[in-house]
Amino acid sequence: MRGAPSLERVAYWLAVAALCWGLLAFLIWPILSALHTALLRDGTLAIGQVTQELAASRRVRLAVWNTAWMTAATTVTVAIVGIFQVVVLEYLHVRGRTILKVAFAIPLVFGSVVAAAGYGFTYGPTGVVTIGLRQLFPSVPADWFVGWFGVLFIHTFLMTSFYYLFLRAAMRRVDYATIEAARSLGAGEWTILRRVVLPVVAPTFFAVVILTVFVAISSFAAPRILGGRDFFMLTEVILTLNSLRRPDMAALLALLMGVVLMGLILLFQSIEARGARLAGSRTPAPIQLRRVRSRGWNIVLHAACALLALAYFLPVGLVVLFSFAPSSAIGVETLPPSLTLRTYVRVFTDGTAFAPFWASARMALIAVAAGLAVTLFAVPVMLAARNLWTRALDLVFFLPWVLPSVLLAVGLITAFDTPNWLIGGGVLLGSFWILPIGYTVVILPLMVRFLRAAFIGIDPDYDLAARSLGAPALYRFRRVTLPLVVPTAILVSGMAFNDLMTEYPLSAFLYNVNNTPLPIAIVEGAMSPDPEQKALNLVYSVLIMGFSLAVILFAERIGLGRGPRINTL
Amino acid sequence: MRLNSLLLTSAVSALGLSAATAEPITVYAPWPADQIDWVAAQAAAAGHEAQFIAGAGGELFDRILAERNNPQADVALGFVDAAMATLKSEGLLLAYEPVWGPDLPEAFRDDADGMVWKFWQTPIVIAYNADTLATEAAPTSWLDLVQPEYQGRYVIGSINWQTTRAYLAGILARFTDENGEVTQEGWDFMTAFYANAIVVEDGDAKTQALASGDAVIDLNWFGGAFNQARDVGYSVTVVDTEGGTPFIADGLGIMAGTDQVEQSQAFVDWFGGAEFMAAYAHQFGRVPNLPQALANAPEQVQINAAMVSPQPLDWDAIAPRLDGWLQTIELEIR
Repeated sequence: MRGAPSLERVAYWLAVAALCWGLLAFLIWPILSALHTALLRDGTLAIGQVTQELAASRRVRLAVWNTAWMTAATTVTVAIVGIFQVVVLEYLHVRGRTILKVAFAIPLVFGSVVAAAGYGFTYGPTGVVTIGLRQLFPSVPADWFVGWFGVLFIHTFLMTSFYYLFLRAAMRRVDYATIEAARSLGAGEWTILRRVVLPVVAPTFFAVVILTVFVAISSFAAPRILGGRDFFMLTEVILTLNSLRRPDMAALLALLMGVVLMGLILLFQSIEARGARLAGSRTPAPIQLRRVRSRGWNIVLHAACALLALAYFLPVGLVVLFSFAPSSAIGVETLPPSLTLRTYVRVFTDGTAFAPFWASARMALIAVAAGLAVTLFAVPVMLAARNLWTRALDLVFFLPWVLPSVLLAVGLITAFDTPNWLIGGGVLLGSFWILPIGYTVVILPLMVRFLRAAFIGIDPDYDLAARSLGAPALYRFRRVTLPLVVPTAILVSGMAFNDLMTEYPLSAFLYNVNNTPLPIAIVEGAMSPDPEQKALNLVYSVLIMGFSLAVILFAERIGLGRGPRINTL
Repeated sequence: MRLNSLLLTSAVSALGLSAATAEPITVYAPWPADQIDWVAAQAAAAGHEAQFIAGAGGELFDRILAERNNPQADVALGFVDAAMATLKSEGLLLAYEPVWGPDLPEAFRDDADGMVWKFWQTPIVIAYNADTLATEAAPTSWLDLVQPEYQGRYVIGSINWQTTRAYLAGILARFTDENGEVTQEGWDFMTAFYANAIVVEDGDAKTQALASGDAVIDLNWFGGAFNQARDVGYSVTVVDTEGGTPFIADGLGIMAGTDQVEQSQAFVDWFGGAEFMAAYAHQFGRVPNLPQALANAPEQVQINAAMVSPQPLDWDAIAPRLDGWLQTIELEIR
């Protein structure tokens, strides 16, 4: 920015000021506000009192216990399924590998509230599988899937994406030459796995385990839809406390969750750093897939693969199939008697059916536009100068990734339920804007991460050449730098838009009755036995999945992976 | 720059949203969609531009309190005694005497403050499916419901519903000591009351429980019990319970934060007037408090009005405690 004309400099500093104000008002302040609400009452430390009240509540105790053991159980079951996927895809020779790959990639498209609702549709009290089961065995209760079992089931199959994305990549780093060397030295299969393969993938494995814990603790929509009366988790109790007008208890509980999650992130980072040092050879020879010699075991292996693939395809298949079914068949039939586009037409022509879709799309668009404006300005600024300030900025941008969304939500509520000088004495709670603002904050980490990579990837010679031709800074940014990052910007906008269309935690806390967003409508639809609601839900789900798929294919096309977003369930 | 102007516009419009003029007034009304649609159509026909926000009564009430510093509603319509008492004590209402206000019986007027006007009342009843439950097997009191024979036969609705809040308060009020606090016996009863019930979060789930035959007893407001029976398709009998039936009266008030005082006043004058109240009674069987409206109501409505005997309840004393009671139920009992 040196030597820029003065008007441009003024604009630059105005933008810096606006950026700092935005981050302070909508990210830092809410967090501080949540802290304040959790710890202080009328200016004195009241944490002991609030803790006592929390500890006295049976349902809070139950929620802590449920969350703890569900997280532990989820970690184990997800590890089993996830490792199996990696072994099947990258280590053993299995027929139908392409189909398995597609099956195991399903959670990338079929995630969040859509998946929770989809599993509810498949196995819930009026679910297709339940109806079929009860036709065969009338003694099966309609709510066999409701409760901890259903939640653990969903977690198990939907939280494997980290294994699919990262552990597989780590597996590819194993140099086949080392395996062959070990084999020629007489090592058995198990010894090779334990002494050669494991050390290379271990750091990634631990990191993936931690990510699973992270996602399982913050699970929200899944227990809400399928937990039933007796199984509930921390996030839900925090929402309840908030609606009981006990923001202090809600904030303290959210804060405790935040502390645990922060600890996990620190652990994750230290492991990741160690993993970088331990990384295998630079040009590993690809692993030759091993054939299972024993015929019996081979059959078992293929049967297990088929079952697992079925578990993945079944809910998605049923959701897509029944989205074309007349609503009268939903909750009654195991196969649609006829196919129709009626519900699709309804979503786009009936005002009340389209309203949640439009509400979410509008807020997501606002958030994505604001997020893009922030990151396209902030990222080059952060990259241009490495100093204390930009490093602090960097950290602030990643806060929403580290902190649980519920803490942010409680913070936004407590910060803006009374007139706040930071926004000119306004009150945001109850207004339209609080949710788009929250949305903007939560997508910042994703956008910063991807756009930073894009900006770093630009050859500095372009800028130098433009500068030597006398182009001013803003002109260089507009005509040289920006076009180079446009594909990434489009991609990351798509991802962010996609995430926001199903964002549940913030939505549940901040939505307005006259502006119900899609994820809330989906969860309500999933819990309602009304077939019309369910029919709408299926169409919403299919549309969201279609959009997710388009985003992922676009990402593949421009050569960027999906990246580790934290998929809230 | 783009960022700057964008955030500025958003900040400005955030402030401006509640101050918009020449827009329809916003009415928070916790009624089912069919009633809302009908009222909205009638209001429009009478020349009132009003936007109705429906939802569970408790939830809408919670929202009004949460939005206290940024009121979205101009009129709170159809909230029950305890809720209206809280809105008043929180200073969220504006004093206004509707033209029909003085004609209300004294119990439904707000002579002291002139803020809350209760336009109709309804008992919260125990009703049962008379096709499957014999009269002698039906409960005769709210306290009967914890008996083993009613295990899983009645439904407790969402605590976000005004009806649920009303009967929970009615039950706990029977167990208060001289200071108005609930005794241990009361909490033990409440625990048993929940343990014995089917607990649901939404109306469809309740309908399903009654339709499947699992539940045969409906805890509902008077007209709601008949609607429920019609929807599911059974004949319903209302119990005139021993110890009385809690009555709740729905009130209205103009929100202190309104920027459309005159439009709101005109709407209130129209809504609670004898003409529209009688029309409402014809349409949905509600029991108006305004004597002239009740006189013009269908005969059946007048008969219904005397069907059950009221439980004496002091809602002004209950209102300040209700939050704590609901908290205990939600956090420790449910």
